[in-house]
Amino acid sequence: MRTGRQIRTRRTEKGIALLISIFILLLISVVAIALIVSSGTETALAGNYRASTGVYYAGLSGLEETRARLLSKNPDAFSTTDPTNFLPPAGTALNMGDAYYLINPVGGEPITPWDSASTYPDNQFGVEFGLSSGFFSPTNPSPTALSVWNRNPLQPLGIPGPLYKWVRINAVSEKSLGIDVDADNLADSTTPLYFDGAHFSNSSSAGPQVLELTSFATLPNGSQKIVQYLVAPTPLNLTFNAALTMDGNNVLFTVPNTTNFWVRGSDQFSVGSCNPGPGVVDAVGYTNSSDSSQSNILSAIQTGPPSNKDRQGNYTNGVAPNPDVSYETLSPNLQTVAGLNTLVQTITQNADVVINGNATQSSMPSGMSPTSPMTIVVNGDLTFNGWHNTGYGLLLVTGTFTFDPDATWNGIVLVIGKGVLYSHQSGSGQFNGAVFLASTLDSSGNPLPPASAPGSPNFDFTTSSGSNGIYYSSCWIQASMPGMSYKVLSFHEIAQ
Amino acid sequence: MLTSFQEARLGLDQMVRDINDAGFPPPAFAGTDLTKFAITPFGWSIGSGYSSTPCQIGTAGGGTCTTASVTNSPGDFDIIVETNPNIQDPASKVQWIRYQLVGTTLMRGVADKSGGGTDPDAVTTAAGVLVPFVQNVVNNACPPQIPNCQTAYPGIFPGGAPVPIFSYACDNSSPPPATVPCLGPGADNSPTNIRDVMITLVVAAPLADAATGMPRLVQLNGRGRRINPNQ
Repeated sequence: MRTGRQIRTRRTEKGIALLISIFILLLISVVAIALIVSSGTETALAGNYRASTGVYYAGLSGLEETRARLLSKNPDAFSTTDPTNFLPPAGTALNMGDAYYLINPVGGEPITPWDSASTYPDNQFGVEFGLSSGFFSPTNPSPTALSVWNRNPLQPLGIPGPLYKWVRINAVSEKSLGIDVDADNLADSTTPLYFDGAHFSNSSSAGPQVLELTSFATLPNGSQKIVQYLVAPTPLNLTFNAALTMDGNNVLFTVPNTTNFWVRGSDQFSVGSCNPGPGVVDAVGYTNSSDSSQSNILSAIQTGPPSNKDRQGNYTNGVAPNPDVSYETLSPNLQTVAGLNTLVQTITQNADVVINGNATQSSMPSGMSPTSPMTIVVNGDLTFNGWHNTGYGLLLVTGTFTFDPDATWNGIVLVIGKGVLYSHQSGSGQFNGAVFLASTLDSSGNPLPPASAPGSPNFDFTTSSGSNGIYYSSCWIQASMPGMSYKVLSFHEIAQ
Repeated sequence: MLTSFQEARLGLDQMVRDINDAGFPPPAFAGTDLTKFAITPFGWSIGSGYSSTPCQIGTAGGGTCTTASVTNSPGDFDIIVETNPNIQDPASKVQWIRYQLVGTTLMRGVADKSGGGTDPDAVTTAAGVLVPFVQNVVNNACPPQIPNCQTAYPGIFPGGAPVPIFSYACDNSSPPPATVPCLGPGADNSPTNIRDVMITLVVAAPLADAATGMPRLVQLNGRGRRINPNQ
């Protein structure tokens, strides 16, 4: 009987293992599902932030490509890649209401922003130039240019570029920007705006035209952004008050006593259609009137008697008493080491050729010509020796510039850094344009404090040098002035 | 936990966008109406010289950008952006957008810029302007329910010290490099000169981990770059 009861009890517990197993499995499933859901939400959140950032930079890259290609020196400049049927020639203002599109299609997709029914329409145009401005929509079709990602050499490589779709280039007005630049309480919708270097203006004589760049970017997941620049070209705009400017304290000055060495402040030499003006600048300029600069310069110039040894008349602008050696007040950025360093950096960023390290005449680019002056930066010493040639453009040397007067330079010569221009050979070469010296280093070669005035520049043309000297030429200065980048005047993201 | 982190990510995104747009529109847009253009990309207290005399940005309460509430703006936990985020609206004005950490809540406040002589600090701390934006931000202090959050994560809080939400890089007047940290006295150290704002948000889940008792933290990093030109 006892045995029979035990058997019955075991039979009632039969199947409990299965139930426990199912329960545990259920528990594990619930935990797994929770983890998956949690992980998915996390991924989605991270993805949203990544998409937002990605589309922002995609839009920004469109703006930057366009800004760079507006500059004629860029190898992919619009003036080179699309010389016709796109932007008007340099110097011609864009008309209000005209829109030019840089397009960046992927896989041959059609991009026609002027078509409101297209995949990527430019609805922003109507917001800025709509009814109130009289320009209802962009011209159908508007001129287009392909992005660098759709041109050689990048296009055949199949490199996926940034996902902006189009960038619009257009003029702006008071009305389109919602501002009143001339405080006449009227929002002019038909007059393009210009930039005078500090403010916008309705006057075309104020400066270059302000251009608006609007970039539309979208990601495959649908994230979209529109970002916008206002830009204007900014010339370097260097002005010279003397044929030779010695910027700094206690300048060092040595000059030949020969009859053919002149420093002339009267404007000379025609270049192309540019003719010299009646105005003059000083022959030699210095920037510290309370130290030995003036006396150092004057004492280096040989005086008579006898009169045939007197060279004071060789330093002249034809107006001021000879020798024409004068104190100059330079623009604030040229009065400090920091400002000079910034100038060097700006020129370097926009140079045609940058040579890092010491260089000789063989480093000079062959493409220089009167019609194609170049901006050349030598980050080191530059030595001309037996170079019977002529350079054209802006030459910036941060080390010592050793000049052999077999050569001539037409344009601007800046020696900023060591600030030493040295010549001790014979020849009949000369500088036509302007020469500027400034030392940003102390006597040990260490950088001077940024806020301090520059140190002692050294113009060392030994008495045996045979150079013909320095001749001021506004035309060569103008021809050599490098075109700087299109400056970003404003940026903002347009809410979608 | 997810709500906390989502809030933080959205907050970071918004802060980066505001900082990217700082200084818009710049004074080049002309006119004399100070409410129509940004006189500086980042504001500071009128008591510290806004807007004619720049203050100096410091860390750990240093610098001279002191506000009436004895914080610092721009500072480790406080920033005022000056921009017009809604230029499409003809009636829009430049705004002061402030982010300020109060306890463990990052507050955000927006106020229209007023005319000359108005204090960005006072306007943005007026009653009802600052509203909670991101909660459980533990960069500076732990919430009461997680008292030891900073010591629990020495990797996030080196030495157990607070982690600034905002750190700044200013344009370098003697490049390279193009920017330098906005620290210490110097001409480059000024709210008008801020180029980059690095943002570090350390956010805690409202409750510690039930199993381990450890606080659950996440650190989010972002960077806003002011593109508008120096004013």
